[in-house]
This record gives sequence, C-alpha cells and structure tokens, in this order.
Amino acid sequence: MNYRQWLIAVLVVFSLVVSACAAPAAPATESGDGSSAAPAGEMTFVGTPRNETLILDNLNGSLERPENFNPYTPGVEMGRGYHEICLDNLWDIDTVTGDQFPALAAEMPTPLNDDYTSFEIKLREGIYWDDGVEFTSDDVIFTLQTWMDTETLAIHGWAVDYIAGFEAVDKYTVRLDTTRSQPRLSKDLGVTIWDNRFYPMAKHIWESQDPTTFEYFPPVCIGQYKFSKTDPNGNWTLWELRDDWERTSVGQITEKSGPKYILWNFVGTEEKRILAMIANDVDILQDITPESMEVLTQRSDVVRAWHAGFPYADFDDPCERGISFNNSEFPYDQWQVRWALALATDIKNVSLGTFAGMLRVSPLGVPPVAAVQNVYHKPLVERLQAMTLPDGYAPFDPNFALDMAKIFQEQGVGGDLPTTDAELIDLFGVGWWKYDTEQAAKLLEDVGFTRNADGKWLLPDGTPWSISINAPSDFEVQSGRLAYAVADSWSKFGIDASVKPMTANTFWTEQATGQFEAGSYWPGCAIGADIYPNLSGWHQKFIVPTGEPAPGNVNRHASDKIAAIMDELEKVTSDDPRNVELSSDLLMQMAQEMHWIPMFGTSKFVPVNETYFTNYPTADNYYEGPWWWWSNFKFIAANIQPKQ
Amino acid sequence: MQLVKPRLVVGLIIVTIFFLLGFVAPFFAPEDPTAWNTYFRNLPPSAEHIMGTNNLGQDIFWLLTWSIRNSLWIGLSVATFATVIGVLVGLSAGFLGGVSDRFLTLAMDIVIAVPSLPVLILISALLGGKTSLLIIAGVLVLFNWPWPGRQARAMSLSLREREFIHVAQASGENAGKIVVLEIMPFVLGWALANFINTILVAISAESGLAIIGLSSLKEATLGTMIYWAMQHQALLLEKWLWILSPIFAIMLLFIGLFLVSTGWSDYFATRRGRQ
Amino acid sequence: MQFAKFLLFRLLTYVLVVWISITIIFFVPRFVPGSPVEAVLGRLMSQGTTMDPKLVQSMRETLTQLFGLEGTLWEQYSSFLTRVLLTWDFGPSLANYPTPVSVLIARALPWSLGLMLTALLISWTLGNFIGLLAGYHNKSTTSKAIETAAMIVYPIPYYILALLLVILFAYIWPIFPFVFQVSGEPGSWQWMKSVAYNSFLPLMSIVMVSLGWWIISMKAMAIDTKEEDFVQYARYRGVEDNKVMVGYVARTAILPQITVLALSIGGVFGGSLITEILFGYPGVGTLIYRAILGSDYNLILGTVSLSIVAVATATLILDIVYPFIDPRIRYK
Repeated sequence: MNYRQWLIAVLVVFSLVVSACAAPAAPATESGDGSSAAPAGEMTFVGTPRNETLILDNLNGSLERPENFNPYTPGVEMGRGYHEICLDNLWDIDTVTGDQFPALAAEMPTPLNDDYTSFEIKLREGIYWDDGVEFTSDDVIFTLQTWMDTETLAIHGWAVDYIAGFEAVDKYTVRLDTTRSQPRLSKDLGVTIWDNRFYPMAKHIWESQDPTTFEYFPPVCIGQYKFSKTDPNGNWTLWELRDDWERTSVGQITEKSGPKYILWNFVGTEEKRILAMIANDVDILQDITPESMEVLTQRSDVVRAWHAGFPYADFDDPCERGISFNNSEFPYDQWQVRWALALATDIKNVSLGTFAGMLRVSPLGVPPVAAVQNVYHKPLVERLQAMTLPDGYAPFDPNFALDMAKIFQEQGVGGDLPTTDAELIDLFGVGWWKYDTEQAAKLLEDVGFTRNADGKWLLPDGTPWSISINAPSDFEVQSGRLAYAVADSWSKFGIDASVKPMTANTFWTEQATGQFEAGSYWPGCAIGADIYPNLSGWHQKFIVPTGEPAPGNVNRHASDKIAAIMDELEKVTSDDPRNVELSSDLLMQMAQEMHWIPMFGTSKFVPVNETYFTNYPTADNYYEGPWWWWSNFKFIAANIQPKQ
Repeated sequence: MQLVKPRLVVGLIIVTIFFLLGFVAPFFAPEDPTAWNTYFRNLPPSAEHIMGTNNLGQDIFWLLTWSIRNSLWIGLSVATFATVIGVLVGLSAGFLGGVSDRFLTLAMDIVIAVPSLPVLILISALLGGKTSLLIIAGVLVLFNWPWPGRQARAMSLSLREREFIHVAQASGENAGKIVVLEIMPFVLGWALANFINTILVAISAESGLAIIGLSSLKEATLGTMIYWAMQHQALLLEKWLWILSPIFAIMLLFIGLFLVSTGWSDYFATRRGRQ
Repeated sequence: MQFAKFLLFRLLTYVLVVWISITIIFFVPRFVPGSPVEAVLGRLMSQGTTMDPKLVQSMRETLTQLFGLEGTLWEQYSSFLTRVLLTWDFGPSLANYPTPVSVLIARALPWSLGLMLTALLISWTLGNFIGLLAGYHNKSTTSKAIETAAMIVYPIPYYILALLLVILFAYIWPIFPFVFQVSGEPGSWQWMKSVAYNSFLPLMSIVMVSLGWWIISMKAMAIDTKEEDFVQYARYRGVEDNKVMVGYVARTAILPQITVLALSIGGVFGGSLITEILFGYPGVGTLIYRAILGSDYNLILGTVSLSIVAVATATLILDIVYPFIDPRIRYK
C-alpha cells in the first residue's frame, strides 16, 4: 500500500503547488498608452526607457489595496506619487521660505469682512483634469457640499463646525463663509506641511458615487502627471507626464514639466534600498540612517546627499525630536522634575549616540528649520541667556555648535565643516541647556527626591524612580535611537531609565490617551514664521483625563500663561508684525515651563543618484527642500532634468 | 565505537567552551557591556579590547559573552521546559487514552493552531514593549511544547501496540515502570534531537522578535546584538567582528550541541546493541 | 461503530479548537494598547501636518463608528460571531477601509501557498532522503557532504541567511533580482518565468533553513529504527541492504515525519512572515504583519483564522488517516 499511497500524496501536493502558482492574480490594470513605444536603450522593469523614468523609493512600503485612490477613505495611501504629482492643492508651500503660494487658486484668499468670516477664493483659469474636463468652481462647491452632506466622511464633523456657507460666484470664483473668525483660512484649507485636507473632487466623476466607498480607480489627475499603472501586489505605481501638462498649476507657474515617467517603487528593507541605489536602480531615496549614508558614500560616486560632504543630512525637516511626558501625572507634573531631566541630559553624547552628531539642537518648542531659526532661535538667544530658573540659575549654554565642531575635528571627520562661528551655529544650532547634574540633583532634592547608597534616585516616598520611554520600534529611526541615547544619559545620572520599543499603533494610542511616562514623540512642528497653527493644540482647553484620547495637548500641559498668549495669537493674521512678537513670548514661556524637552531637528539624508537625472535640489542648489514625499514634489519634479 | 567517541568529545568541548564563555566569563567584564559610549567608538582589536569596539562604544568581546549567557539561558530553559512538558503530556495522553487524551490533545491542538509569531508580536505589544527575557522565554515555552507533545503521543500510540510492551504487561509490570524502563530509552534519542531543535527555535524566535525591534533590546542576547549591528549597517560597512561574532557563535553552539546529540545517541545505540 | 464514535469526538474537538483559537485571536488584539483609530490618526499626524484638535476629535468619532468599535467587548464579540458564523464575512479591513478583508486575502493567499508548499515539498523530500542515508549508512560521502552543509546553514538566523543570499546572488553576483518585481501579463509564459525567477531566492532561503531539521530528525529516527529487532531480523534473513533501508527502516521512521509534514502544510496558510517582509513577497505573512502593526482587528482575524482553520483541519485529517498508514494503531 505504501508506495502507491505515497505517490498519490506527492502528486496531490504537487498539483496544489502548480494550481497555486497558476492562480491568476489581478492583472496590472492599464490606462492610456503607458508602456507603448519603447526606443532602444536600457528599459525599466515596467517597460519604460530608464533614462526617461525617474524612480523614487516608496517610503511607506507595499500596499495591500493599490487600487484605492479615494483620498477621503482611511485606507488610502497618499504617498507613492498620488498627492505628490497627481492631486493638487489650492495653496501649496514654498519649502525654502516656509510661505504659502496659490496653486489651484489664483491668489491667496481675500477676506470680505474685518472679522475674517467671509472670503473670496479665486481659482486659476485654464486648469484641466487629465480627462479633458475643466476644473472650475463647480468642483470646489461639489467637494464642500459632499463634506457637509456625508456623515460617514471623517472630515464631516470638522466641516460642519468650520464652514457656515458657500456659493459659486462665477466659473472661477467661490465665496466661503466660516462659523468663526478664521484669519488663517489658507492654512486650514491649503498645505502647511506635507499635505492638506482639501482634495478637490472632480464633480463629473464623483457625483454618481458614494464618497465613503468609491475607490476612484483609475484616478483622474489634476497635477501634471496622469496615472499609468500600478502593481496589483502594491509595490509600485507608474505615472506618465500629461501631453497637456501646460494646463496644470505647475505648467502655468513654472512653465516646465518634468521627466516623462515617474515610478514609485518599494524596494524593501533598508539594506536593499541602499544596494538598489548603488546599482542605480533608484534615483531618490527617502529616509535612511547615517550608517547607510556612509555605505552609499563609500560605494558610489554618483550618489550625493543634501550636503555633498559631512554632515550630509538636511536638518530642515519641520518636526523636532525630543522627550515628552504626560505632564498631568506624578512626578512629571512638577516643572522641577522636567527641568532636572533636561539638565541631566548629556546632549552632545545624545547627539553622537543618535545620529553620529549629524543633528541640529533646539531649546525651543519649534524645529530649528532655517526659516524658523532665523526668526525665533537666533533672535531669542539673548533672552535664553538671560533666562533663569526661580532659584536664579541660568540654564542656557550657547556653545553646543562650537563644541560639536571641535569633537568632529578630533575625530577627523570635520574636514567639510564650515569654519566661521556663525556658519557653525547655522548648522548645529544656537545652543541647548547645560549638562549640569549638580543643578539637576538640587532641583530633585527640592521636591523631595533622595539618593540611596548606590547613587540611585528614589521618589519622595522612598521607592526607586524608574522611567520608561516610549519609542518607535520599526519606523522613525531617529526618534527610536534618541530614546536609547537619552535613557543611557539618564541611567548614568542614577535613574532607572529604560526604553519601550513599540509598534506604530501602540505608540500613537499611548500618546493620545496619555498612558505613558515619557516618550520620544515629536509634538513640535513648524515650517515658517507663522508657527501658531502648528502649536495651537498646546492650549489647556484640550486637556482630557489620562485614559481618554486627547484631541490636542497630548502632553496634557496646563498653563494659564500659555493659554493667555494663545488666545491673543488666534486673533492675529499671519502677516501681522505682532504675530512674531507674540509667538516669541509663547516659545519663551513654553521653554520656561519645560512643556516637553525639545532636543533636535530631524535630519534627513535624502540621497539622490545622478546617473540619469540632474538638478535635484541640494544645499548648493536650494530651490526647494528635499521633501520628496510632500505634495509640493510636483514643483521639484518640474525642475529635475534628464542627464545628457 | 572508534568513530563515536571523538564526536562526542569534540561536541562536549565546544559546548563546554560556550558554557564557560556564557556563565563564567561575564563575571570578569570590567564594565556593564550593554552601556553605550563606555569606550571610543569603532576601535580595532587590541590587547585592551580583543575584538575591538562597535559603533555604540561597547566592547564587542564582553558584549558577546553577555549575549551568549542570555541566549543560552533562553534556549536551555525553553528547550528543557518545552521538551519535558511536551514528552510527558504526549506520552501520558497516548497511554492513558480516554478523556484525558481528548483533553490534552485539545489543548495541544489549540496551541498548534494559533500561529505563534503573530501572537508573540501581539504579546510584545500588549506588554507595551516592556518585554523581559523571562516573559519571552515563557511565551516560547507556551508555543513549543505541543510539537514534541504530539509526536510523543504518536510514538506512544505506535509503541503501545508493540510486542515488548505486551510482553511487559503480560509479565505484570505496572504502567509507570513500563514507560520509564521500556519506552523512555526509545524516546530519548528522538527527544534529544527535539531538545536541540527547540534550543535553536527559541534562540531564533528571540532574534526574530529582536529583528523587528520587539525583543528586550537593551538586554544583550545574540539576537539583539545582531539587531543593533544590522541597525548600524555593520554588514555593508564590513564591520565583521560586530556582525559575524554573534552569527558564528550561534553556528558553533549549534554544531557543538549537534555533535553531542548524535555522538551520544550513537554511543547509546552501540551500548544497547551490546546488551 | 468504534470508528463513528471516534470520528464524532474528533469532529467535536475540531470545532472546539477552531472556536477557542479564534476567540483568543478576537480578544488578544483588543487588549493591546493600540487602536486602529489611533493608528490612522497617528499616520496622518506623524507627518507633521496641521491637525486642528476639532478635526482630530471629529475624525476619531467617525472612524470609531465606521470601524464598528462602539459598544462593549461582548457586544462586539457576539456581533462578530453571528456575522462570521452566518456569512463567513470578516468585514472591511480597518487599515485599508473600505476594502473587504476577503479581497486582500484572496490576492495574497495564492502567493504564499505557491512559495511555501514548493519549499516544504523540496526540503521534506530532500531532507528525509539525506537523513535516511545518513542515519542508515553513515558512510556515503555525498550524503555526508550535504548533511554537513545543511548543518552549517541550519543554525544561521534566517534573516541573516536570506540577507546573505541577496547580497551574494543579487548584488555581488547579480543573477537574481533583489526586488520582487514580476513582469508580464498574469498567466502568460513570461509572467510564469518572471514569478519563478523572482521567487527563487525566497524559496532557496526557506529550503536551506528547513532542510537541516528534516535531516536531523529523520536521521535520529533511522538510527533508532535500524537497531530494532524486525530490522535486524530482516538483515539476518539476508534481505538486500537497500531494501532494508527503504522497506523497513524508512517505512517506520517516516511516520513522525508525516505528522510534522501534515502540520506544516496547515501552517502554510499563514505564510512566512519574515521571508515575505524581507523579500517584499506579496503573501499572507506580510498581510498579518501589517495588520498587527495597524491594529487592523478584522484583517488580523481574517488572516489568522484562515491559518487556524488550516492547521486544525490538517491535524484532523491526520488523526483520521493515521491508522490507515500505521495499522498498529486502533481507534479508541
């Protein structure tokens, strides 16, 4: 019996294998003439000429449902080119100055009254969807109406609260009324960082659909690229330049178009992404570590980062990293404890341990982005130096940049660094708090903490003090490493500090519900001088009890003084000179209270490969920031040229 | 006989070296090797640091000894508990039969049916990343005993129909004695292979968790050592001592254990053969 | 009669196993301090985009409702049970809302099955063959060489082995792609070639790590079995050596291996998490991993339940068939 049964068993399994292999996966859906005429020369794996195809690393990995292009569903992926080059916004952001400019709109919104509750929005004329239908005020009105009418859209509740009414004045003009004074309408409906929330719906497509479940596939684009095809397994998406690219905002503003094809491709784990770039299979990589950068510089002559030499990274990412606490829970509800932890942080070693020192410090609650640093950090240095704790102690130390330069010279890697003090401060930041464990100890002893015989800190009730720091485990490497470096510093000070590496969902949930002691979060983002919209969540009116998800102020920091300044700021327009003045006061007040411990701006290495394309934005060619994953990438794409 | 002993001896020597490295050497470490920036970063091997230092300013040799200790600890405890529990439960299920068999088989089937890696990831998340090595070991035992359990049950079902059991039963010996005297020797050769496999399963499961950043990363294990080396691209930067030392340690450890296992079972077989 | 009774009990156990396991998978993720709503919000906010607290609040409420996460755990559980029992519908994926879980699984499953079954089959056949030769003869040089090679490869952590394969065969000596990129129309000859070409390294990596275990266990069984009386007796009778090996030793020693093979086939439905992530392979393992990361309760339930049912079914079939293979076992 055995042999025959065996044979049968084996055959059954084999046929299973064959049938599994042969099971048809969904075909790569094509629209248009994506991959037709292929001239001689090297081809990409999607059948386009390599020297006409710009290839970007797909930051968010492969997609489970690549056919979903409905921007209003929770499951949509906006990256992979969709919001970068297919969608467009009313107002986009100039990442050099941090100012908004009109894209689909013809100009910035015009307030119709003094209390900023009624606006006129002029649309750019001559903009067309890629199926040849013109973009008009009807599309804008349709979008707003859909928000108001569809209760199952996540935006619905906000829209009903914000918008009082709207009407199409003419084909290219919309009037919009708000429920309250909104001096910053363009910040609410346009891009500030990365993206916005107003994605215009093409009325002629959407009007027959249920906006909650419609997949919008294939998408009809309004940017200068149109959808070509996407991998049914979710690894790549190919976009093709529109023949009528002049009928888009990018076409009208820049009069340039960009490469013929742009491909977003998921290459895999970090090692593979690096190897792919070395093999010239990727032109632009997104987020990598300093060690990966080292590999790239060793192995490839055609790859460069933002700076051609050390420190390579761009320090202008608009979010800053540091350690947050739940400020409503003992012992972190005491300013002395938060200040003690700041002073017990050996910031230079933390910088070295996190990203080999390629970081810019910031003592303030907004990132040290050039456009922000020039308006706030640098002018505020004097006030920071004059600042004292209640016992008269002056905590600020302005020497960080020069000290770091010295360390790099000693390590022999500082050859590419600038030489003047002012340039070094531009690069490494204005300074940070002193590393002063004695003062830290004094602050702790003031509120009843004691040390045992081993030098370990005890809480006022005599139990050992331990801190666990929430950290992202498999994403946002910089914040993850920062947590370990800070824990190392605090352990040396005698606190039992440990790191809790967590997956994204847990990491975010614990932040929202406040169920954490300390965490490597990034609650301070800003890109230009008008920082209030990004900081408005710190108002104490948003505090909810620990355990409930908070709508804002996840650090649960209560302060009447901060609230008072914010109430003033809310009434001020972006271009009012009082805006900067009040914002400066706000930042100083926050620093004084140590609302969280801001440490570093975010460093992005953003390497590019110059084999097939040139004129990428870099430190030497700074026409845009290297934010390949933001909606304004369409303006960068227009400037990238094939190498001849 | 001639071929058997050298294998056993070589295996025992390797395993002994690992036990010395893992359980004795760590006491001589000058500082806690898991702390960062204790020494200068990326130093080449020298008299002071026989394997140099890594990107995090840790001494690679001492770090390795601590890693071996913790990994051995995980591997041995998981393998011991999983194999002992599995074999006992499996054999009793097979021999007792009836309700207890049904109940034990149900328990084994449930654990086998639930895929372990997703649940491990979930449990790591549930404990909020505060995963201690003890908890990881516990979960690994939970997921690893039913495999030997089912196999042991299958063997006992097959064995109890065999002649020598009937003979023993007929001659009036009690069931416990039968299991110990007649069945255990038969099962042992296989159980040892399973034991060694479980050591490796435990060590790789822990490093699998470490790779996705969900083990107890501040503690030194061969898995977390690989994690940190990979995080710092040690492979592509050719920092071989850092990345390869834990890999070779796992390989050597296994080969050592494997030689012990096969050497021992050959030795055992020849002795039985002579009886 | 005895068989009917056995079958009844066995089926009852089967239902219990599936039900209890799925219940575990229903509750465990819900006790994890991560919620799918916060995962969606966190993904948006981590980009640094301005989120008015009012918008955050309104999104949170809408999503909780959309995802069906209102009410107590018991209410959620009972509505889940009725829905799954009646329609076997796991609902929409939360992280990929509104795409149904079944659509995602239907796309990923053939990939996992194709890869894993092939790998399992190759390593099982090869491993047992080598293990048998090694255990029975321990003289053959070829089997010794393969055995030694497999033993050296076996303990290398899987992740490192796979990475070494990629570096060796996709970078230093680029005969295989390092990104999983299938080209051609699905079903076409070009597509099949492309699938085979792209799957080769993942396949090899799985075969290489699993081969060692089959060799070890088969060898141990073969060594033990060849000392058994009935084998010795066959030898004394002068049965040809190879016949003894195949007909007596292999037949006995293979039984536990079949047990494990059957269980492994069940396990195939869960995909291979690390392989798939590492090679960018579009299977069920990737799906499970991403579902856990996003607290996508419905997708976790869908994928893991599939795997649970598969493993439980495999053990069920095994138990029913076992006595036909080994006549010494009777149903009791």
